[in-house]
Amino acid sequence: MWLGLFLVGPLCLMLAISFRGYQAGVGILPTWEVGHYARFLGDPFYRGILWNTLALGLQVTVWSLVLGYPLAYALSGLRGVRRSLLYFAILLPLLTSAVVRTFGWMILLSNNGFINQSLQALGLTDAPVRMMYHMSGVVIALVEVLLPFMVLAIDAALLNVDPALGEAARNLGAGSIRTFLAVTLPLSVPGVLSGSVLVFTLAISAFVTPSLIGGPKIKVMPTLVYEQGVSLLNWPFGAAIAFVMLFVILALFTATFRVTNRGAA
Amino acid sequence: MSASGAVLWLVNGIIVLYLLAPIVVVVATAFTTTAYPVFPPRGFTLKWFAKFMATEEFRSGMRLSFVLALASTAVAVALGTLTALALARYRVRALAALSAFVLSPILFPGIVLGLALLIYFHQTGLAGSFWSLAAAHAVLTTPFVIRMVMASLGELDPSLEEAARNLGAGWWGTFFLVTLPLIRPGVLAGAIFAFIISFDELVITLFIAGPKLTTLPIRIFTYVEYASDPTISAISTTLIAVWIAVGVPVYTRFLGVRHR
Repeated sequence: MWLGLFLVGPLCLMLAISFRGYQAGVGILPTWEVGHYARFLGDPFYRGILWNTLALGLQVTVWSLVLGYPLAYALSGLRGVRRSLLYFAILLPLLTSAVVRTFGWMILLSNNGFINQSLQALGLTDAPVRMMYHMSGVVIALVEVLLPFMVLAIDAALLNVDPALGEAARNLGAGSIRTFLAVTLPLSVPGVLSGSVLVFTLAISAFVTPSLIGGPKIKVMPTLVYEQGVSLLNWPFGAAIAFVMLFVILALFTATFRVTNRGAA
Repeated sequence: MSASGAVLWLVNGIIVLYLLAPIVVVVATAFTTTAYPVFPPRGFTLKWFAKFMATEEFRSGMRLSFVLALASTAVAVALGTLTALALARYRVRALAALSAFVLSPILFPGIVLGLALLIYFHQTGLAGSFWSLAAAHAVLTTPFVIRMVMASLGELDPSLEEAARNLGAGWWGTFFLVTLPLIRPGVLAGAIFAFIISFDELVITLFIAGPKLTTLPIRIFTYVEYASDPTISAISTTLIAVWIAVGVPVYTRFLGVRHR
């Protein structure tokens, strides 16, 4: 009931609005059209934003996989107090809001911030490396913001792997690296998949980090939705962009679901 | 084993450092004596905490966020507990699909829901009111309550409720005297999660709050956009400390339950 009233209802209304006409200065017109979708998908400027967003999602997903897997692997191997401590270190960022963590990154990434000063002190670079108001900074911060989700997903999958399987492989003469590649890694694929889908979804719909670190020059779909919806009040166009985003996410979920089901059957 | 183990530890040490870096920076810069946040901080002062407490903008934002989180949590706990009971009790057909639907706001992009609710509240004339904001937050937090309560219900022995019924207790009597006390840890954990999420919520609030309802996260966000000031570090540090004090016992307790 509650969800129907405040989730399904608003979404249906927004779907309807996304097909309405709009004229600057006048507002929403009582006409029906598909022009907003055509404009977003047809105009090279907006198509660039779509590709930017997908590229950001992909980069963030790959990096959190690279950084998240070793951490999840270590976490799943620990027991008792040591596991709790590491678990706490991974959960602590989740208890802190994205705004606060992004603020921390803004201090670190600025041209005279800690990272650039360290790089210059080490002689690795002469001029400061631009990370604030740049895509690289958005990626660095967003990976950190979303990494816990990846670690928790892979950890959950690794915990389900029977340790006896690894022992069996070792008893049969496989080294620890071979055991990992032939036994542990394939069995953790469901966790890797669900973690990747989760992180990609959250990355392409993230608003706070791209808007604060990217600034006005870096445009991704969520900042565009906000700009159209709140600053320009062009709700039909904003709604159309939001639905393109939802469509991408739904397509991703469906594809993953198909793949996992085929794997199970 | 030992060589590859050492490498794994070193790599993971760096990753954990990366994960905790912004939090360390925010906490450290809250004590700097410079007029802007620098890391590593210089000197030690508590004046930024004093400034936070003395600034009316931040105080009113905190009051609003607190009342809002309280209101939306009350709604979320009531609805979430009842939904969890229904999902656990009645063998609803297509239960999996229903659970997925009920839990869907967890994954739903806030930016999409924000715009949808903005349009919706405008068309229904509820825009910019406190209760529309509380309702929106409750949509977001109810799934977490449902999760926690369902985890508690999974461990509940159904024969206890049957016994209460056989002894003549009605539905409400059974619920308040038997079920609720037994699932209280789950309800409490759900309530605390709901409170924290609502207090920290920014994206949906930015869309629907309107000019009169400026919550603390909105204050912080607009402040950070245009200025860099250690006061923000001080506010963030205070929030981090409170959430650790409140959240960690819940996490450990909840995880303790799940690992046994």
